[in-house]
This record gives sequence, structure tokens and C-alpha cells, in this order.
Amino acid sequence: MKFSLLDDSKPSRRRVLRDALALAVAASPLANLAKAADESPEEVTFAAGPRPLVTYPQKRPLTLVTTRPPHLETPFPVFNEGPITPNDAFFVRYHLANFPTSIDPDSYRLTVKGMVNAPLSLSLAELKALAEPVEVVAVNQCSGNSRGFFMPRVFGAQLGNGSMGNARWVGVPLKAVLEKAGVQAGARQVTFRGLDKPVLPSTPEFIKALDISHAMDGEPMIAWSMNGTDLPFLNGYPIRLVVPGYFGTYWVKHLSEIEVIDHTYDGFFMAKGYRLPDNDCFCIAPGTTAAQTLPISKLAVRSFITNVKHGDVLPLEKRVELKGIAFDGGIGVNKVEVSIDGGQSWLEARLGEDLGRFSFREWTLPITFTSKGATQLMVRASNRAGETQPLRADWNPSGYRRHVVETSHVTVA
Amino acid sequence: MKIMKPMTTLLFTAQVCFAAMAGAAPLSITLPPETAVLKPSTLPGYPLAQQKCSTCHSADYINFQPPGMSLAQWTGEASKMQHVYGAPISDQDVNVIGAYLAVTYGSAHATDADVQAASNPPVGQAPAAPVAKVDAMALLQNNACLSCHAIDHKVVGPAYRDVAAKYANDPQALAKVTSSIQNGGTGKWGNVPMPPFAQLSPDDLKTLATFVLHP
Repeated sequence: MKFSLLDDSKPSRRRVLRDALALAVAASPLANLAKAADESPEEVTFAAGPRPLVTYPQKRPLTLVTTRPPHLETPFPVFNEGPITPNDAFFVRYHLANFPTSIDPDSYRLTVKGMVNAPLSLSLAELKALAEPVEVVAVNQCSGNSRGFFMPRVFGAQLGNGSMGNARWVGVPLKAVLEKAGVQAGARQVTFRGLDKPVLPSTPEFIKALDISHAMDGEPMIAWSMNGTDLPFLNGYPIRLVVPGYFGTYWVKHLSEIEVIDHTYDGFFMAKGYRLPDNDCFCIAPGTTAAQTLPISKLAVRSFITNVKHGDVLPLEKRVELKGIAFDGGIGVNKVEVSIDGGQSWLEARLGEDLGRFSFREWTLPITFTSKGATQLMVRASNRAGETQPLRADWNPSGYRRHVVETSHVTVA
Repeated sequence: MKIMKPMTTLLFTAQVCFAAMAGAAPLSITLPPETAVLKPSTLPGYPLAQQKCSTCHSADYINFQPPGMSLAQWTGEASKMQHVYGAPISDQDVNVIGAYLAVTYGSAHATDADVQAASNPPVGQAPAAPVAKVDAMALLQNNACLSCHAIDHKVVGPAYRDVAAKYANDPQALAKVTSSIQNGGTGKWGNVPMPPFAQLSPDDLKTLATFVLHP
């Protein structure tokens, strides 16, 4: 566990280290290349593409996935800027179009109800004073991140690799709020609802659930601060659920209602949506149907090269530094390997600063190409439990949890 | 890369200021205007999709799906909207919309026999084309108006009484409300746009607008 109480000295130390890293890249021959990386490293195709960059409130231009409800992706070069995704570049994803565009923090209330001794209606001030604030650096990744690369293709938001981000979250543990209310015996799950609502009453509400044991284990958090400032509106202002190590679907935005229940929640977004085949690989052969399914949960191990994209031309006989990120569901990445020969041989990269087991972990690897022509760069991470990434992508009908070894086709000249 | 630090610092400071200002007052945002539109087609599913699909989501949800999906796949997607997300569409609407989507965005062709069959259902089962003389309440039902509106209270869109009150002293009321129904609109009553009901006949539009103004 790398939760820690607030410590002002930490971010500045991190910033110094990051700047040192930035300088190291600036000095490398890849600096220009990194700068040149444009907004669409992805090669997702659409029925009526390509997608434009759009500017939303409190955001720099982001890649449009959908307008209403809004879904915006982080342009991939942002992930080369450092292990923390800036708030104005952080991806945005809503399920339902009927949400307020004005929120008054003074009248905002979080209610806690159901199987509790004392139902609560907390103001933001009361929530913040309820327990010692905790901080965690954690990745929020959409279940469908990279869905656009599924083959055969599947319906749904056709995401590139930009529906993920890593931020420093500050809030109070969910456990502290539930303890304040007093969870009654027989509690089975806790449900979470935000201010985003369906347009039509016939559409299922977006409500998510965690098992009571998970809700009370100290990891899930109700956060009001993201990278040292208020949550941006479109990332869940003024408070959102943060579930470190779990896919973004559980990170309910504009969190407004918590209910403790004595059964397994059977609403659409738990019982029917966001489910994976219930087997070891969470996968099935395309075109077949899963015998059993279960709710999606923890992030799989993933890794990316961030300073090279498809089609780049890299120099011969010259030292260049490859750079990227890796993460997993909270066990902690402890190895990143890179291949520059299409997977025939693998070199171990140097891991960057450890910001905690739920965070992006930067990695770097100096390499020198010794032969000309086309080649493939590949990156593969593993965690402390020995979990790693498959060389061939597996498949599931909803296009969730993509985690294949990423390959970049480049030319050495 | 060197300029990253000052830029980061500047950004950080700006956001803190913003947060400090927002602390005392509501934080409000204005979402950019919706510009995505469905690809035009002569198939009957086009106006139907414009009206039904856009009640809940923008057209880019459709535009940015994978290319090359089949009639069965697109019809399955329309059926999912009906059964899973509660879209106010009939079984027949599902087929008509599926055919339009599969031809316009997928691998089907307008001349395919199954597209023709789906787009031109047997006479007698076609509520998609309303008969000439129906009362306002039937029009409201057939066009799913009451999914978003009620006479006396706000649902997603405004109460008809509130619309009537707003235009009570406006000599252009009938023309304005007719236009809003026909072309859709956004921003007059809130953030959720009203889809266009372009397929309605002038008589139906007048019936509806008259009803809305005198509920």
C-alpha cells in the first residue's frame, strides 16, 4: 500500500525528477521525434472518420469520440510528457447525456443510505473534515480503451489508446465514510450513483457496485482533488469515486449517492453491461458466446512506447533512448522488456520513479540500431505476480480490457 | 521539451486560481455546440434515425462506429437500443433504422432484397408513416414526444404549459414552435437538444404546435 497522508514536499521532489527526465530526453536524438509525434498515433478506422480535435471547458484540445454524452480522448503524445496526465488533458467519458452543467459546491450533498445505522447527507466541508485526507497516484482507464483495435471489430465507442490517464488523487477513504454511517450486518454490496442521468426514464441509470469487502478495504476513495486542484467539471467535479487498480467504469463522477445493500446489485451497468467472459483469459473465440460472464474488475498489465509512433524513421548507428509507460491493477510493474527486432530478442528497460503500485511507471531504454530497413518495436511489462502481456490479442464481444503487447512499425535509415 | 517546466507551472497556477474563484460560486460550463449529423439517405430509416436516435445521443455515436458492419449487425445494434437502453422505437422501427444504418455506414446496399424488405414493411403494419388526420394526442404518442415532455411538468424538455407561457404574447408563436418541432433545437430550455421531426407533414406540425401552445 502506498497511500500516504498529504505531504507537500512530495510533489516538488517528483517534479524535479520529472524535469531531470525531460532534460535527458531533450538531450537525446529522439527529442525532435517526440515533439513531432502528432495527435493520431492510432490507426483506428471509422464508418465516417477521422475524428477531430475539440476544445471543451477546462480542457486543451482533445480527440473527439462522441459529442453527447461527451467522450474525449487524451492525444497520445501527452503520455510522453511525464507519468502524471495533466488535468486539462485527462480523458472524459459520460454514459448518459442528462447531466447538470452547473454545480454549486456550497449546496452539494453526498447521501449515504441503505443498510447503515445513521444515514448521512454530507456537505463537501463535512466530507473533507470526516477523516484525515489520503493521497494515491492511480491510473483511470476505460474498460473499452483501445477497442478500435479489436479484430474482428465490435460496436461501441471506437477508442484509440487515449482513454486512460494517471493522476494524483486526494480524498477520504470510502471506508471512513461508511464507518461514519455504520454498516449493518448482512451488507453485501455498496452502490454508487452520480448526477449524470438518462435522458429517457426507460434508459437504465448509471449505477455501479462494489462488494462490501472491497468498499471497506481502505483502497477506494472519495476524491475532490486531482493533481493538486479541484476535479475538472468533466472529470466529476466536485467529488468522484476513485477505485485504484480498477477500470474507470467504477470511478463514478459527480458522486451523489451511496447505498449499502444486502444483495448483489442487479442494475444494467453491473448485471448486463461491463461484463467479461468468466474464464482465465476473460476471452472467447470471435463469434462465439460466453457460457458465463462476470463484472469487469482490475486493470490488466499494459505498456506503451510513448516517444515513437507507427511509421517513424529512426537513425542508424546512433544511440537513441526509447521511453514509455507501464501499469497494472495494483500488484506493481517490476519489469519492462523491449524488442527492436519484432520479438526475436528482448532487452530489459530501466524503470523510472515508483509513484506507487497503482500509477503509470515510466521506463527508458537506450538502444542503437545496427541494421537498416523495416522493423518492429515491441514492449512487454510484467508485474510482481509474474503476470504479463500476451503477444497475440485475445477477444471478447464488448471490446474490453485490451492488453496485448503493443507493436510499432518503424524504419531504420 | 525545455519549456515544459514553465508551461506546467503556469497551467498549475491558472487552475488553482480558477479553483479558488470557483470555491464560492457554482462551477458552470458551456458545452460546445453539437455539429455531427447523420449521413443523408433516401431510405425511410434516415428521418426515423434522425428523430429517434438523437433523442439520447449525438450522431457521431453512429458516424464513428467501425466500417463494414452488416445488416444483421446494424439491426442488432438498433435492437439493443430498443431493448437495453429503452429507445422509444417499435420492432419495425428497429428494422427500418437498421437497414438505413447498414446501407449508409455498413456493408449493405440499398438494392439488397433484405434491405428493401426491412425498409418497406408490408402495408397495414406501418405506423412509421402516420395517416393524414390524427389528433394531437395520437401524434404525441406515435412520435415519442411524451418521452421527453409532459403537459404540466418538466421531464427532459420543458412542460408544454411553460412553452405556451413563453410564447403567450408572441405573434410568431405558431411559426416558431412549428420550426422547433420540425428542425429541432437546443439552448432555449436547457442543455439536452430536441431532435428534428422533419418527416412530419405540415398538417401534423400545425396540429402539434397548436396543441403545445394551448395545452
